[in-house]
Amino acid sequence: MKTEKKQSKIGRAILWIVLIIVAVIQIFPLVWLIDFSLASSNEMFTSGLLIIPKKIQWGNYIKAFIDGHFLLYLKNSILINSLAVLLVVVISIMAAFACRRMEWKLSGFVKTLLLVGMMIPIHATLLPNYKIYNTIGLTDTIWALLIPYVAFSLPQALFLMTGFIAALPVELEEAAVVDGCGIYRIVFLIITPLLKPSISTVAIMTFLNNWNEFMMASTYLSSPKWKTLPFSVLEFTGQYSSNYAVQFAVMALTAAPAVIVYILLNKHITKGVAMGAVKG
Amino acid sequence: MKKLYSNKLVILSLVLPGILVFIFAILAPICLSVYYGCMDYSGMGKATFNGIDNYKMLLRDAAFGRALLNSLLLAVGFVFIQHPIALIVAAVLDKLQGKAEGFFRCVYFIPNVISVAVIAYLWKFIYNPDFGLINNILKSLGYQEKINWFSPNIAIWSVLIVLIWHGFGWGMLIYYTGIKNIDPVLYEASAIDGANQATTFLKITLPLMKPVIQINVTMAIIAALKQMETVYLLTNGGPGNSTQFAANYLYQQAFKAFRYGYGNAIGIVFIIICLVVTVGLNTIFVEKKEA
Amino acid sequence: MRKKLLVGILAVCMTATLLSGCKGKETKTEDASVSATQQEQTEAEKVEDTAEPITLTVFSNLPDRKNGQGLVEQKIIDDYMSENPNVTIEVEALDEEAYKTKFKAYAMNGMPDVVSIWGQPSFLDEVLEAGILEPLNEADYADYGFVSGSLEGFKKDGKLYGLPRNTDVMGFYYNQKMFEDNGWEVPKNYDELLVLGKKIKEAGIVPVAMDGGDGWPLAIYLTDLLVRVDGNIKDIVSNAIATGDFTDPSIVEATKLLAKTAQSGLFQVGYDSQDYGTAMNLFTNGQAAMFYMGSWEASMALNEDISEEVRNNIRAFTMPPITDGKGAQTDIAAWNGGGYAVAAQSEQKEEAIKFLNYMYQPDKLSKYGWENGVGMSAQDQSAYMTGNETNLQNQFTDILNNATSVSGTPINDCGPSVFKTAMESEIQSVCNGTKSVDDFLSVIGETCK
Repeated sequence: MKTEKKQSKIGRAILWIVLIIVAVIQIFPLVWLIDFSLASSNEMFTSGLLIIPKKIQWGNYIKAFIDGHFLLYLKNSILINSLAVLLVVVISIMAAFACRRMEWKLSGFVKTLLLVGMMIPIHATLLPNYKIYNTIGLTDTIWALLIPYVAFSLPQALFLMTGFIAALPVELEEAAVVDGCGIYRIVFLIITPLLKPSISTVAIMTFLNNWNEFMMASTYLSSPKWKTLPFSVLEFTGQYSSNYAVQFAVMALTAAPAVIVYILLNKHITKGVAMGAVKG
Repeated sequence: MKKLYSNKLVILSLVLPGILVFIFAILAPICLSVYYGCMDYSGMGKATFNGIDNYKMLLRDAAFGRALLNSLLLAVGFVFIQHPIALIVAAVLDKLQGKAEGFFRCVYFIPNVISVAVIAYLWKFIYNPDFGLINNILKSLGYQEKINWFSPNIAIWSVLIVLIWHGFGWGMLIYYTGIKNIDPVLYEASAIDGANQATTFLKITLPLMKPVIQINVTMAIIAALKQMETVYLLTNGGPGNSTQFAANYLYQQAFKAFRYGYGNAIGIVFIIICLVVTVGLNTIFVEKKEA
Repeated sequence: MRKKLLVGILAVCMTATLLSGCKGKETKTEDASVSATQQEQTEAEKVEDTAEPITLTVFSNLPDRKNGQGLVEQKIIDDYMSENPNVTIEVEALDEEAYKTKFKAYAMNGMPDVVSIWGQPSFLDEVLEAGILEPLNEADYADYGFVSGSLEGFKKDGKLYGLPRNTDVMGFYYNQKMFEDNGWEVPKNYDELLVLGKKIKEAGIVPVAMDGGDGWPLAIYLTDLLVRVDGNIKDIVSNAIATGDFTDPSIVEATKLLAKTAQSGLFQVGYDSQDYGTAMNLFTNGQAAMFYMGSWEASMALNEDISEEVRNNIRAFTMPPITDGKGAQTDIAAWNGGGYAVAAQSEQKEEAIKFLNYMYQPDKLSKYGWENGVGMSAQDQSAYMTGNETNLQNQFTDILNNATSVSGTPINDCGPSVFKTAMESEIQSVCNGTKSVDDFLSVIGETCK
């Protein structure tokens, strides 16, 4: 009995050590990033792991904030992503309802067709889409990002939504029909409120997918008008090529909104991701 | 009810937005890719039809082969390095209770919400042989040699480490959720049988986690195939083509080498490979489930 | 309940922005049509002094707008806007590699009005073939003082399509103070350079910072070596590219020398995956003794981000001669590469050309460039010598004035862009030893056929 207790104590210690080592690996690069973002550029060239800056250089962050167009890009990111989430949620609920509940011959085919999008590698459409958007004048507009963001988040959302709708009891709808509700009212006033947890899952997945996307943004956009947050970093490597500390500051600043939001909403996001991933 | 639920017009109005998005953003570009894939076209000026010449060229293109091989290496790395660690950490985390559990889960996931742009540049610095973090750590441990983490033989593994680090929280979280869903009664039963923790993990956790593992493995393989952004910013396929990936390669060919037609041909082959692999993996796993 | 309300409000707001977005667009097009009719009216009445507001877009490869060349460009743009209040100039600037990629994307459809270009076959051939750039009237530039021969790369079938910005000279920048403190001397021949490299390395410093991640500096290095081996390289290179046969003994020897150099450790560890900024920062932060780069970086001497100790001690020398080579140290790797052009489809062509010409007025690019320590322009700069030049500027001027021959376009830029792309990627492999010299030469030859 005693040895068993001892054993479990050692086991617990090992357990903690493993967790702490992994945590350090995951978080230390970010600590390093913040540390050097507050130093001056030539202090980077030390052999120490972390440094105590001779003078804390808040100026790095001021430069990053102003020259990185932080507020503009943050606003663009929020706007584009919110719209993408809204569209994905609305479109996926409508399509899921039609494919799952309504009676028509092609429902299975249409559903499969829309789900195929999940398998298409998003970057293979970069070349032709560029041509298409250019021809119809969509490059450098918000649509150039919205359309592909919605298109490539939609299949997963549809998949999740059909699953959730299938689990809802039909009786509710039957009662609504008896009360004289039309389909649209059933979808938006009766079904949608019941899907709240799944909507948050879809919203979180869509946000995580698109928030950090930059390949399409850098191909389709040219003026700063709709550029998103990752551009602050991309632009700074050229603009401040000889000032590493400022580059570090802009990286930290760009990462900050997502990290802060994640820490605040940690529980919800974890739940959303888990639900989406396990069901998907 | 039946009449209401089979109103064609209503159905059309509900699915039309989805179909339009699909046609416009996925189907149309693929068709256009098929078209340009058969063209000798620089991207500007005139395009001339050249049949399947682009595809013939692609068959002999060593760089494209290397790109597919790299995807395979990456998938192997995900499946045999990232996932076992993630699974074990998830199992360990499950044993903790209370605040510590939430704290660790949060910390592990943080890299995942950071933009690839930041991650790639950050790791460029971390890997730098002259002032990077890793070589500084090695130096403080007494190892003086400067290691080039992007030398042709190991560059792909360095890329892999970044991707594992970045995606670790995601994989861990899914395993963690899977473990949480296991009925605690089973654990109690095994405890009564006198099984120790390792046996419990192997005999109960692992078999019950099989579906979750399958999903995770499928997603990892597909992610390895579709990899582009990190590589684009971290190495852009270099040195040589040692860290080349299909998506990055088609981008380079179209927008750098003035071979828009060829780039599209690569895109088509790339799409077909993705479809085949996804469908293939699904059938393998579904069959297994039924067996 | 409050949460629900919040969600509702959010949703309404978003829909509203979406709708207003659409609306905004509609009104804008209306505005445009209105202004178009107004324009017709004014033209009909021949009233010219109310200038129409014009927006010019400039696409530039100079993202650093606060130092060197980018600063010069921005200054001229600001001057132009203040002299022509009706003109707004919007700049999109990306660093060179990203610029070239995006340029090709733009080329498929709709260029910005004024763009940076390179007067080299790898860049210009396909661009001109597609008719993307507007031809310029060469006679207009007779008194702009362009250095003789500098316009050649920008011509096709006798027509001029762009104007060169600089005269580029490639060389080794070195940290003079570091050299003196350690008793190192500027190498007089190539063997000395390699020996010096070993010595520097032993002292724990990087001998030469090399931007090998991009490939083109390595290709220029190869060009530089080829000049040392064979003196005049134009015919060898153009023959090789025309036939796809790169087995000329001089090319083989130069490539072998490059591979030997790279493998001897002259460049920093991991040079073949590090970018421009990293290489330059090694040098400007005193981590590297030398930096192989073009004269356009001469503005380092005035860059306030670089510590005074380094910036005041930067000097330069050209590639030292090799034993039994036909080229001397005064046979330099130099060319007129970067420049500007106007897009053929530009809707404000007249204004764009006017702005282009404004940039090339001798007291703009040349004068501002000189004042800001940027290398040599492609125009006669002698009028702007102030006596306050940095040592670097004087050195490069001397190098150019004393040159016995000039290499012209670097080898990687002499062929089509497929050749360039392959060469810049494969040259990393031949340098780090994963590809043999023969394989390398046959692979790049293959792309010319």
